[in-house]
Amino acid sequence: MKTLKEDAQSVGNILLEIGSLLMSSGANSNRIRVTMERIANGLGYKTELLITHRALMLTVLDKDQQYFFSRLKRTSPHGVNFRMVSGISHLSWNVLEQSWTVAQISEEISRLKALPHYPRLIILSTVGLAGSAFCRIAGGSYIEMLVTFVATVIGLFIRQEATKLKFNPYMCVYFASVTASLIAGLAEIYHIGAQPDKAFATSVLFLVPGVPLINSVTDLLEGNLQNGIIRAINGLIIAFSIAMGLFTVRMILHI
Amino acid sequence: MLTEILIKGFWAGFAAIGFAILFNVPRRTLFPIWCIGAMGGLIKFTSMSCEISVVFASFFGAVVVGVVAIQLAHLKDSPPLIFSIPGVIPMIPGVFAYKFMLGMIALTNIENADAYLQTLIETVNNGAKMMFVLIALGTGVAIPMLLSRKESIKKSKFNKKKKAMA
Repeated sequence: MKTLKEDAQSVGNILLEIGSLLMSSGANSNRIRVTMERIANGLGYKTELLITHRALMLTVLDKDQQYFFSRLKRTSPHGVNFRMVSGISHLSWNVLEQSWTVAQISEEISRLKALPHYPRLIILSTVGLAGSAFCRIAGGSYIEMLVTFVATVIGLFIRQEATKLKFNPYMCVYFASVTASLIAGLAEIYHIGAQPDKAFATSVLFLVPGVPLINSVTDLLEGNLQNGIIRAINGLIIAFSIAMGLFTVRMILHI
Repeated sequence: MLTEILIKGFWAGFAAIGFAILFNVPRRTLFPIWCIGAMGGLIKFTSMSCEISVVFASFFGAVVVGVVAIQLAHLKDSPPLIFSIPGVIPMIPGVFAYKFMLGMIALTNIENADAYLQTLIETVNNGAKMMFVLIALGTGVAIPMLLSRKESIKKSKFNKKKKAMA
């Protein structure tokens, strides 16, 4: 029999840390379960796991069920971070194939946490470019694309600032939606471009809740119905916030 | 017509890149994400120009994105969702959602019965298209994993590297 090098408590704590990081970085429920079980297997333990949107419940057992450890951990609602998802996926295979220790795992996790995001200017400009790409796909011309670019960049800036000020996340989306559609709406009032409604409709698309909605379908198909429904409702509230922003601007500008 | 499809596909790639950077993907996956977004867009717009409905066109696009995402996941050593989620975002039915929302708002204060009926018809039409396109995108991306019935793509038959080692 494989001798256990680590005690159940440190294994359980590190697994919960990994699980909550995955949940807040935008992984689906099945990926969280598979990754945590893989790491536990690599360390010689079995796991029983309950995954919900805002908390994880975990029991780790050794094979003889002599030692076990149970803990509940809240997951923090953070932004989507695929660099973390990718890094943890690598880490889990390293644990299984190169038998990493808990100390090595926690070192790797603190390295992953310290990895930088893209510079803010690059995020703003590429998301602006994505906004004008949406406008081009919807059939807008270069003038509308420019309007969408400006609206998206300023809208995203407002969202980032609102997030920094710790507003409710749905309010952040609402503020961004109002700002972006206000700029596109002003362009419509001053008759900039031939199809200003295209710019107005696509200026808020950078806010679409892509990750919650797609993860929701994936979770539902894999039988994690509860999480799937919760993610769908989260996505719907974000969509509703965007719609309320557009509605507010149409009311202000009478268009 | 053909150039229009190509241009739209080209821009679909940039829409994918924008979201990829917003989601903080690893730098080595950026160019593959542009390719996968452009490919999904090309499939969708080509299908639509062949008079396939927007729902099925989006579904085909999403299935291609899902399959290519698994290949790229092996090539670039990253989980497939990093490629598939930004890849389907250019196909999101933004204009239908916008028209649906406008229709719903209009329905709250129309008095004339004929105008109400006309708006209701258009709103339901746009709303149904939006719903089914979203479902088609989610299902299309999940289909390769559903068909391969494996817990991890490292074990699936797409992984030639693993197979050669065994």
